[in-house]
Amino acid sequence: MKGTRKHIVLTTILVIFLILISLIVLYPIVFVVSAAFAPGNTATGLSIIPFADGFTLDHFTYLFNETNFTLWFQNTLIIAICTSALSVIVCSLAAYIFSRFKFTLKKTMLMALLVLQIFPSFVGMIAIYVIINRMHAYDQLWGLVLVYVAGNVPYNTWLVKSYLDTIPKSLDEAARIDGANHFTIFSRVVLPIAKPILIFLAITTFTGPWMDWIFPKLVLGSNEKQTLALGLFSFVTDRKDQFTTFAAGALLVAVPFIFFFVITQKQQTESLGAAAVKE
Amino acid sequence: MGTSLATDGSDRKKVLYTSLIFMGLGHIVRLKEWVKGIFFALIEVIFICFIPLICTKLYDLVNIGVDQSSITDASQRKMSTFMMIDGFVAIAFIAIFAVIYYISVKSALHSYEDYCVNGQYADNRDALRGISGKAFPIVGLTPALALIIFFVIVPLVFAAASGFTNWSNPDHIPPGGSVNWVGLENYIDMFGGNATWASSFGRIAIWTLIWGACATGTSYFAGMVMAVILNEAKIKIKPLFRAIFILPYAIPSILSMMVWKNLLNGSAGTVNRTLRAIGILGETQSIGWLSDSTMAKFTCILINLWQGFPYFMMLIAGQMTAISADIFEAAAIDGANKVQIFKSITLPMVLYQTIPLIIMSFTFNINNFGVIFFLTGGAPNVTSTTTTKAGATDIIVTWIYKLTMDDMNYKYASVLAMVVFVVLTPFAIFNFKNTKSFKEGEL
Repeated sequence: MKGTRKHIVLTTILVIFLILISLIVLYPIVFVVSAAFAPGNTATGLSIIPFADGFTLDHFTYLFNETNFTLWFQNTLIIAICTSALSVIVCSLAAYIFSRFKFTLKKTMLMALLVLQIFPSFVGMIAIYVIINRMHAYDQLWGLVLVYVAGNVPYNTWLVKSYLDTIPKSLDEAARIDGANHFTIFSRVVLPIAKPILIFLAITTFTGPWMDWIFPKLVLGSNEKQTLALGLFSFVTDRKDQFTTFAAGALLVAVPFIFFFVITQKQQTESLGAAAVKE
Repeated sequence: MGTSLATDGSDRKKVLYTSLIFMGLGHIVRLKEWVKGIFFALIEVIFICFIPLICTKLYDLVNIGVDQSSITDASQRKMSTFMMIDGFVAIAFIAIFAVIYYISVKSALHSYEDYCVNGQYADNRDALRGISGKAFPIVGLTPALALIIFFVIVPLVFAAASGFTNWSNPDHIPPGGSVNWVGLENYIDMFGGNATWASSFGRIAIWTLIWGACATGTSYFAGMVMAVILNEAKIKIKPLFRAIFILPYAIPSILSMMVWKNLLNGSAGTVNRTLRAIGILGETQSIGWLSDSTMAKFTCILINLWQGFPYFMMLIAGQMTAISADIFEAAAIDGANKVQIFKSITLPMVLYQTIPLIIMSFTFNINNFGVIFFLTGGAPNVTSTTTTKAGATDIIVTWIYKLTMDDMNYKYASVLAMVVFVVLTPFAIFNFKNTKSFKEGEL
């Protein structure tokens, strides 16, 4: 009897604790959702109770009609798709070659990739700015895509290479005996087997550009060429306080993002574990 | 010249020297491999054509600060920064050429070894036919290598080099002013030579380390607690709680940070108003979440905890389910209670498995630009902020960013970037040594 009573008390405390944490976790999220539909402009003008200010869709119509929101969305989408596609192509090709061929300086190159992957991308920020200007790629979406893809190569080539190493080479050889050339083996035999890692690569490189702020700020200048992160940020700067508009935009970005996260969660959580040391 | 080579390997030196004289010569003269030889020779010819250009670029690299006031048309003046980047690109080309040269000599020696075994020259038709096969690795690697060389390596070398120049506002910013090499001056300034900068550097470096440790530690601990609770608690709505707790991880960090910033902002911020409304704060009281130097640091760690614990919660929960049920059963049979099982089985196993991830997370947090920049922007200011731009909550990364983008003080930004690199490299190497491919010697 005593045991069950103790158990009930413990469970109640746990539930209260969990609810409390949930409230803290949900607090800013609920607040943003309510702000997106609330009349007014600034965060300080809003009631502290969510949804107490009334309901309006003004911020959404403002976003679509009077700002470049759709353009920003389009830019970000183009950048994300191109970055993802190019990263998958470049990394999988390089990984395949590193995994299957023997050539001079291979070891050195692999080591170099590893060392380069240590550098945080911002270290080369200044130089990338100069190079982008030198290539006349300033304020061009493709310039940003190049920067992203190059940044993705060192780590992801290793990632895919490690995966390809686990695919038995006898498969390649069987295809080679059937008269397939390297490219056919790569595209018809190896790539289909490597699908899980390529999907993971596509997902991570696709989500990366959405909320990056440093490089778009560096490479893209004009308002029409901006990405969502830059655009949304411009609503809540020191000079401007349009928190409710920002909230509406943030909602439009975060909802698909969470959706995407839920769909790809299996791959993403698996990758979390995969990063750990497996004995 | 027409004499054939010895097949016992004694002519190795002949092949080596001929190959060294001119790229591809060994292939053509000694081994009669016309296709390969002409290909390599063409590369060298092209390179020789570019030597004058490369030399000018190298000369410019050394003399980036040359006085150009005699050139009246400003648009004809060379920019120091462009001279620098061109110089490093030229060096990159020289390096690529050297590597190809090395490969060509290796290839000639390799062909000679084949010749010794087979007793006859390789068929040139094979080389032609084999091009689609042999060229595949080259074609496949070119995009990756080109991107890495020009967008990763050259920028890094450039970044490291700018630390040895006087490239900074207001006098040494191209195109108005010129940049010149100054040796170790900036490093000396940063490590004690200039009191204001050195003290700012010390302050920021210490806070960066504290931040990295606290941000990782709190998130890991909270993640562990939540994972254990969700694992052990017998509550029906567990999946709902889990879904809620994962939300901060799924929302893009920049968005949540900007929301928190607005919630915590000033005395009229929503959090302060709420605290007043429920009576925790008096009518006129408010907490300087982001405006008080010490408080702002706590706020950064707290908000990072809000965002960071789901990652570790998911990770640890995953590791806990991966532990074999047999071990728990055995422990239960031996009479261990839940606390004992956790202490001596779950905790050590999870900890062991996640150590590399803790270290990765630490290095990530040291470089966690997003949380600091979007939450506080480095504010509040302290006395040295006017000179050095380093605020109370700035970590090295955000400081670098401010120096680069707002202050155009590239010389000091570059010194800081190098410091980050030197500090983080051991961690990265440690983690690399733990990877599977390293342990299995596949490298």
